[in-house]
Amino acid sequence: MNIYAYIFRRLLYVIPVILGVCAIIFLIFNVVAPDPALIILGKHATAEQVVEIRQQLGLNKPMLSQYFDIVRSAFTFDFGRSWSTKQEISEMIKAGAVPSATLSFPAFFISTILGISISLLVAFYRGSMFDKVTVVGCVTLMSVSSLAYILFGQWFFAYKLGWFEISGYDYGFPYFIPYILLPAIIWVMLSVGPDVRFYRTIMLDEIYQDYIRTARAKGLSERVILFKHVLKNAMIPIITYVVIQIPFLILGALLLESFFSIPGLGSITLNAINSSDFPVIRAMTVLSAVAYIIFSVITDVLYTLVDPRVRLS
Amino acid sequence: MAEKILEVKDLVVEFRTDRGRVTAVNGVNFDVHKGRTIGIVGESGSGKSVSALSIMRLIPNPPGEITGGKILYRGEDLLNKPIEAMRTIRGNKIAMIFQEPMTSLNPVFTVGNQIEEVLKLHQPELSKAQRLEKSIEQLKLVGIPSPDKRIHEYPHQLSGGMRQRVMIAMSLACEPDILIADEPTTALDVTIQAQILELMKKLQTELGMGIIMITHDLGVVAETCDDVAVMYCGQIVERADVKTLFSSPKHPYTKGLMESIPSFDSTLGKKRDRLPTIEGMVPSLFDLPSGCNFQDRCKYVDDKCRGSQGDPQLEEAASGHSVRCFHPLNA
Repeated sequence: MNIYAYIFRRLLYVIPVILGVCAIIFLIFNVVAPDPALIILGKHATAEQVVEIRQQLGLNKPMLSQYFDIVRSAFTFDFGRSWSTKQEISEMIKAGAVPSATLSFPAFFISTILGISISLLVAFYRGSMFDKVTVVGCVTLMSVSSLAYILFGQWFFAYKLGWFEISGYDYGFPYFIPYILLPAIIWVMLSVGPDVRFYRTIMLDEIYQDYIRTARAKGLSERVILFKHVLKNAMIPIITYVVIQIPFLILGALLLESFFSIPGLGSITLNAINSSDFPVIRAMTVLSAVAYIIFSVITDVLYTLVDPRVRLS
Repeated sequence: MAEKILEVKDLVVEFRTDRGRVTAVNGVNFDVHKGRTIGIVGESGSGKSVSALSIMRLIPNPPGEITGGKILYRGEDLLNKPIEAMRTIRGNKIAMIFQEPMTSLNPVFTVGNQIEEVLKLHQPELSKAQRLEKSIEQLKLVGIPSPDKRIHEYPHQLSGGMRQRVMIAMSLACEPDILIADEPTTALDVTIQAQILELMKKLQTELGMGIIMITHDLGVVAETCDDVAVMYCGQIVERADVKTLFSSPKHPYTKGLMESIPSFDSTLGKKRDRLPTIEGMVPSLFDLPSGCNFQDRCKYVDDKCRGSQGDPQLEEAASGHSVRCFHPLNA
């Protein structure tokens, strides 16, 4: 079975998953949640107003048809209009994706590379003072609230020292760079702790395997063992961990974006939640579900490339 | 006697644990001769694998540490060598195969890649094509059918016996002087076990290497070894050539081991006696008794064994037959 047929078959499995995810989203938004008409109009709405707004929002359509609207949106990305801004949601997402991506992708890339490199070093010097200090450092970094980093960074480095912009965003390369620097650094600080701890565990797990002992018995140097034998085996869990985070990058960083006034998808989502803008929240939910499913397919395909034991069947 | 290539002298290996230091190997001496096989027999935890790993300097440190003794390879002490020099010996002059053929090969590289890796490291003068050719030759040598195809396969595509053959092919790629085999057949079926042992014997006659055979199986010893050292609690308790050891064991422990092998007659014959066993348990390395380590399980025990005259020493009882016992048995 070749890889294209495998990808195609794997994509076919996506369809029932999306149907299921849409059913859950439908249940949450259209069945369990309170009547959006009442949320929009408030308690003192008249019966006619309720009927009218329900018609506008399409809430008087049959349940099944509302469900299929959600399913359709998962494939066409046509999510209708926002209740509060009346904009096309797909346009809002397109506009928000760029600022989100300019922050999240560089930050994620740097923190992943940094995490893997540090954990390889730590694995090399396992049990030494360097190892211990790094682990303690990671836990310390992780234990401080992200709010502390944001507020301290904005007050001290941006306001007092004036090294960075305090908040805001500018479109286009390279104009956005000054604005994303500080949030990106904070992102790296926040994620490098858990990353190093996770990767270190994986590396150490490999280092005590029998085939590493064989590699030593062959006379290979510790460096070759680490970069060839350990790293290739460690790639399997690392890929899972890395690729499955990508959908969340697309959605943007809720907290960082809103504190730094970056008009990305994270900000859009937060605003929608604040104003009970159901179609936008629902659109983001559908979008994240679809992204998650697609990236899990990508993970599976990548497995077949790094692990010969995964047979394409 | 054949040329002596390796001499292990008074080897002491200690491990640091949460409960304190333990001496896993305590003053072990044995020699390896060209073209001969020395068997090291003992129960789990008797220090046989640790002794073997020490020769390769593969004791994980921490927690383990070689704290005493010498390992002389062709007159040079391996324990004094810098680690870089040691790496040119590992896999090249002294090679090792392990108990776990299923996990001892790296799952994400092809068999060929793993054999070629040794050649690339120790024989850099070979070209890529020569390495491939030699790797295929090695697989042929260990009796793997259609080696030119198998060389491109991954370990998971091979059975346990095949993987152990690959391990042997890999370890012998540089024609080492010494092959350390740490329970090479323990994880294999009995039929495969016989094949692997047969193969090792055949290769030994062809290549003339000395073999250190670590095992707990006296059957394997009888079949493959020329000399035997029996280990108990980190010490050699008896050492002799294989015929002498089997015909007249002098240490009560060795004798107990021999008696606890089920024989064909006793299982099929009319008289179905219970299989004799060695009573009791191996003492914990954390609190060894003073005197003889075997005292609690020995039927000949007296005050002397309990430490009234110090610990028993490994002494020559007959020519080429040493035993660590105050009351060696007479055949």
